[in-house]
Amino acid sequence: MNVNFNNRDPVYLQIVRYFKEKIAIGELEPGQEIPSRRELANRMKVNPNTAQRAYKEMEEQGLIYTEKNHPSKITTDNKILGQVRTELLVEAVDQFVTSVRSINVPVEELLDLVKEKYTENSEKEV
Amino acid sequence: MKNYLQLVNFEFNRIAKLFTVLLGITFVAQMIGVVVQSRSYLNMANEKMYKEMMPQAEFLENFGQMSFLQIARSSWFFGPIALCIAGVAFYIFFIWYRDWIGKNTFIYRLLMLPTSRLNIFFAKITTILIMTFGFVAVQLIIIPIEMLVMKAMVPDEFRLDMGVVEVLTTMPELTLIYPSSIMQFIFHYGLGLLAVSILFTGILFERSFKWKGIFAGLLYGGIAVIVLILPLLLHEFVLNSYFYPIELFVLEIVMGLIVFAASIWVSGFLLKNKVTV
Amino acid sequence: MIEVKGVEKRYGLKKILKGVSFTANKGEITCLIGINGVGKTTILKAIMALTPFQKGQILIDGKPIDKHSFEKITFIPDSLTMLPNMTINEAMEFMKDFYTCWNQKRANELLGFFRLDPSNRISSLSKGNTAKVNLLLGLALDVDYVLMDEPFSGIDLFSREEIANVFTSHLIENRGVIITTHEIGDIEHLLDKVVLLDDGLVTKEFSAEEAREKEGKSVIDVMREVYQK
Repeated sequence: MNVNFNNRDPVYLQIVRYFKEKIAIGELEPGQEIPSRRELANRMKVNPNTAQRAYKEMEEQGLIYTEKNHPSKITTDNKILGQVRTELLVEAVDQFVTSVRSINVPVEELLDLVKEKYTENSEKEV
Repeated sequence: MKNYLQLVNFEFNRIAKLFTVLLGITFVAQMIGVVVQSRSYLNMANEKMYKEMMPQAEFLENFGQMSFLQIARSSWFFGPIALCIAGVAFYIFFIWYRDWIGKNTFIYRLLMLPTSRLNIFFAKITTILIMTFGFVAVQLIIIPIEMLVMKAMVPDEFRLDMGVVEVLTTMPELTLIYPSSIMQFIFHYGLGLLAVSILFTGILFERSFKWKGIFAGLLYGGIAVIVLILPLLLHEFVLNSYFYPIELFVLEIVMGLIVFAASIWVSGFLLKNKVTV
Repeated sequence: MIEVKGVEKRYGLKKILKGVSFTANKGEITCLIGINGVGKTTILKAIMALTPFQKGQILIDGKPIDKHSFEKITFIPDSLTMLPNMTINEAMEFMKDFYTCWNQKRANELLGFFRLDPSNRISSLSKGNTAKVNLLLGLALDVDYVLMDEPFSGIDLFSREEIANVFTSHLIENRGVIITTHEIGDIEHLLDKVVLLDDGLVTKEFSAEEAREKEGKSVIDVMREVYQK
C-alpha cells in the first residue's frame, strides 16, 4: 500500500480513489476484509483522522460496509461495483478527451488510433 | 504531600554526591589534623625531653597537656567546616540555577509536574536544611572518633581529656553551629532558614524578571531585613527600651514568621504567574 | 479544545506576540508554521504557563491552566528535559512517580517502537535517540493534548522517519496535537490544521484538507500566497 500522495488533492479522497482503483482492477474483491483504520493510517503514513475520514467517505458512497464488531469489508453490491468501474473509466476518458480536443482531430481518426494503440499495448502485455 | 516528599527525595539524591564528597573531605582533613597535631605535640615533647633532657614534669608545666582544643583550633579542623558552609551557601543558588542551565533544562519538567509549584520551593528549601543538619550531625559523630584517635596516639600523662560538650561550649566559633540552649538553636537556625527563604525569593525574582528582577530581589531582601529588625529599631530608638527582653524575643519571632510567610507567598506567586523558562 | 485568545507578550521592549489567536481541537494535528524567531515556541510555553504574557487568555477545554491540567496536557520541548545522568529507566520511574496518567504499557511499546535500550544513560544517547526518549516521555502520558516543539529539527533522516510514524499511529489517535515547525516538508499530508505565523501574528488559520478540496491548493501554495503578499 504505497501511495504517493500529491499535496493538492485532499488526502482522504486520494485514499478513496486508491481503493476504487483496486476494486476496479479486481485486486480488492467484493466482500473482502480491508485493514482497520489504524492499520491503514500506519501503512499509508497518514494521520488516523484522515484514515477515519476516508473510511467514512467510502461508507457513505457504499464502497465498504461495516457490521458491528467486525472489520470493514468491500461491498458486494454489484451496482456500486459497476459504478466504480464506470466512474474511473469516464474520468479517464474525460481527461483524455480534454487533452486531445486541443489538437482538433476528427473523431474517426482518433478512434482508429485509439483502437490501434490500445490493442497493440495489450498484445505487448500478453 | 506525597509529591513534596518525592521531590525532597529527588532533590536530595541530586546533591548526594556533593554532600558525600564534602563529608569525605571533612572526615579525612580532620583526621589528618588529629594526626598532625598529635604528632607535632609528641615530636615537641620528644625533643624537649630526650634531646634537651627536660624532665616530664617541667615539660608539662611549660607546655601543658594536649587537649582536643588544640586540634579544634587548627585549620585542619575549621577548614573543612568552612568548606561545608561555603558548599551550602553555593548550593542555595545552584539548587535553582542548575535547573535552568545546560542543554537539558530540567525546570521545564519541574514546572509541568501536576502538583503545586510551591512544592518545588519547599522541596528545595528542605534539601538545604537536610544538607545543613546532615553536616552538623555528622560532625558531631566525627568528633568522638577523632578523640579516640587522639587518645590512641597521645599517652595518658600528656593528655587532657575533654567531653564533646565541653569542647563545643568552650569554643565560641562552634557555639554558632552548636547552640547551647534550645532558644539559641531556634534563633540561629530559624534565622538561617529565614535567610534562605529570602534568598530563594530573590532568586525567583531574578528568574522572573531577569535584570529588573535582581533589583526587585535586592529590594525585597532590604524590606525583609527592615521588617525583621523593626522591633529592635523601635525598642532602641523610639520607645526608649520599652520591652522586656522576652517580649522582644517573642516579637522578633513573630516578625520572623511574618517575613517567612511573605517569602513563601511571594515565591509561590512568582512560580505560578511570573517565572519564565 | 485549546483556545489561544489575543495573547500579547513582550520581552523587554520587544513585542514577540502581538495578539495571537487560534484554536486547536482534540483529535486533530495542528501545526504552527513560521520562520525561526516568530514566537512559535513562546506560544507553546505560554499555553503551558512556562512564561507569563501581558494580555489575552488561554483556555484548555474552557478552563485556564492549573496544576491539574498537567495530567491533561503535556509539552515536549525541542530538547530532552531530564537529568543527563539518569538512565531511560530512571527517567520513566520519575514520570511514573509524579503523573497518575503515566502509562507504562504504552511507554514499553514506545521503547520497542523506537528500539531504545532502557538501561542506557541519557547523556550517552545519540541526538536522534535523545529526541525519541523526549517523545516517549511525553507520549506515554495519557493526556488529551500533546504540544511538540520542532520534533523534526536537527535529527537524522531515519530518526525523522521513525518519529513521523508516530503521527500515523494510535499513539496520537484521538488526542489534540500541536506541533511547531519552520519547514513542513514531508509532513504536509499529516496535518489537519495549519496556523501560519508571521511577525507575532496569526496570518492565516486553515484546514489543510479544506484548502485542497475547495481551492485545490497545497499547504505550501497557501503559505506562498500569504508570505509573498
